Amino acid sequence: MSAVAEATSVYLQEFRELGRDEPAWLSQRREAGIQAFEAVGFPHRRMEAWRNLKPGALTQQHFRAADAVGAVPMALAPTAALVPDAWRLVFVDGHLSAGHAVLDDLPEGLTVRPLRDAVVQDGAMPEAHLGRHAVLDNHPFAGLNSAFWADGALIDVAPGTVVDRPVVLVFLSSESAAHRASYPRVLVRAGEHAEIRIIQMHAGPDALPYLVCPVTEIIAEANSSVRLNHIQEEGAAAFHLGLVHAELARDARLHVHGLSDGGKLARTDIFVNLAGEGADARLDGLYLVGDGQYADYHTWVRHQAGHCSSQQLFKGVLSGKAESVFDGLIHVHKGAQKTDSRQQNRNLLLSPRALAHSNPRLEIYADDVKCAHGSTVGELDREALFYLRSRGIGENDARGLLTFAFANEMLQLIGVEALRDHVGQRLAAFMPGDATVKELL
Amino acid sequence: MAMLEIRNLHAAVEGEEILKGINLTMNPGEVHAIMGPNGSGKSTLAKVLAGHEGYQVTAGQVIYEGRDLLELAPEERAREGLFLGFQYPVEIPGVANTYFLKAAVNAIRKHRGESEMDAMAFLKLIRERMKLVKMDEALFKRPVNEGFSGGEKKRNEIFQMAVLEPKLAILDETDSGLDIDALRTVSEGVNALRSPARSFLLITHYQRLLNYIQPDFVHVLVKGQIVKSGGKELAQELEQSGYALFEENAA
Repeated sequence: MSAVAEATSVYLQEFRELGRDEPAWLSQRREAGIQAFEAVGFPHRRMEAWRNLKPGALTQQHFRAADAVGAVPMALAPTAALVPDAWRLVFVDGHLSAGHAVLDDLPEGLTVRPLRDAVVQDGAMPEAHLGRHAVLDNHPFAGLNSAFWADGALIDVAPGTVVDRPVVLVFLSSESAAHRASYPRVLVRAGEHAEIRIIQMHAGPDALPYLVCPVTEIIAEANSSVRLNHIQEEGAAAFHLGLVHAELARDARLHVHGLSDGGKLARTDIFVNLAGEGADARLDGLYLVGDGQYADYHTWVRHQAGHCSSQQLFKGVLSGKAESVFDGLIHVHKGAQKTDSRQQNRNLLLSPRALAHSNPRLEIYADDVKCAHGSTVGELDREALFYLRSRGIGENDARGLLTFAFANEMLQLIGVEALRDHVGQRLAAFMPGDATVKELL
Repeated sequence: MAMLEIRNLHAAVEGEEILKGINLTMNPGEVHAIMGPNGSGKSTLAKVLAGHEGYQVTAGQVIYEGRDLLELAPEERAREGLFLGFQYPVEIPGVANTYFLKAAVNAIRKHRGESEMDAMAFLKLIRERMKLVKMDEALFKRPVNEGFSGGEKKRNEIFQMAVLEPKLAILDETDSGLDIDALRTVSEGVNALRSPARSFLLITHYQRLLNYIQPDFVHVLVKGQIVKSGGKELAQELEQSGYALFEENAA
């Protein structure tokens, strides 16, 4: 059987039928997006960066872009309201859910706007940056996003503006998005000395297949600080394939904290270009992968200037017949002397049928650098398990406690209490036993 | 009724037989010391009694309060009042001592059909027992044994024992690696917990411990068998003669 999406694609056809009335620069970038997708199509085994991913059902049907805003599924209402003290935009099926927006009293210097409005109202900024950073060549889904995005967010922080509350972007899928696709797009710029935290949340209902391909571009100008909590908890039958791309100027700081805890097939690529001297990037991630799920983090950290530092810590917990990939690149350009770069990947297998791929990649072209990496795949420590049981704690609870202990380090790095509690609850639901995580945190 | 009756116990690890027919009977309130050279099977005995899965019992029986101990999972043994003080307590980063011990206390209470201990009562118990082993309260909030010194880890074992109030405590080389102050504290903790209803099995490499905790019986374990049993004077005899004499006899 030939896959519907493989041949010259139904996606190109869909694109041609859309006929959007948009500024010329945007039309050109959308065209570049669909061309980039057409050039490679869906990933296959021969694409090195995609060799572990089996797209399967993804290519067997055409996920047409959802064309209207859906209703927030009842079960996800708390997710839409996550982190109460924040500015907020909520999107359902890729379209703005205007009633959920909280943008009152934005401080001077902070712009938060739906992207669809922004390309008209703040034309110059999106034109200068949107789609100018994320590389589409190696990521077919980013190409699709560029071609099809319907809405998303623009966050622009003026130089010197320190934003003291997070900006929460919630991207939900609704029941009406079954067999449909959405393409959330986020563009962030932090001006010189600016500081901002963004929480990007993806969630959807279980039991119906849908496709989400988000792209987030971050431009961190000199000495700015951007923190991004990126949370993927899509429904159990969902496909989630997206990327985050960050450009760091001199002395800029980036902290991305990822959680991947949903979807049937999920992959997030994080590209970081340390383009100015003294820039610092910290990438953390926790993936909780249950039976039948596939979760994948690819990181691409490129040290392009000297005296930059980067740290990556990714931990995975796998149960049942789960599969995960951590593939982390550290690339040090020839001139990037005094680079200090670290990468750690640790995987905990709760089941003998689980499979964790761990693939650190170091490409170093400078000679005066520090680069360290390590990766482990293991089971729960037998002695620790015995220790807990010898104190009266049941085997399942002991396994849960040790699983919690393994993941807890990542929870402590989340940086927002309400979010940490939320992730803690997700972890508790995933853990064996019935330890009360509320007390553990 | 005896508290513990070990009958002709044989046990192996990875196919190699370590215990070769242990016989031992302990009554409530008694303190027994097992001494022996390296590799004699002391720690194996402790771990078999506590239910470590890495050891296979190949023959024999262990009766604890009239029940077949070997049929019980490690957590069931603990809930029935057995406690093992580890020779090498395990570090568990990411789980606070508080949570760990509360989970243990409540698992045992649940087993006895008692309700969960409320936070205030638990804290009161903790503070009281912490004083007993002179443990720094700050340690209690830290992850289980993480970054603890050797002495702090052993103190933590005795502290856990004091909180869990076992009927039978097996202390596996709790005295090894301790300086004299720590040894005194640990011994005082044990002595304070001695009672007519509680028995102790002290496993030790050094006679020194028995200057601080007076045992009722001393057993010499060599090559997987108890080769001699006696009163506390046997420990002194050992101190002078060493194990060499017994090893020859056993061979």
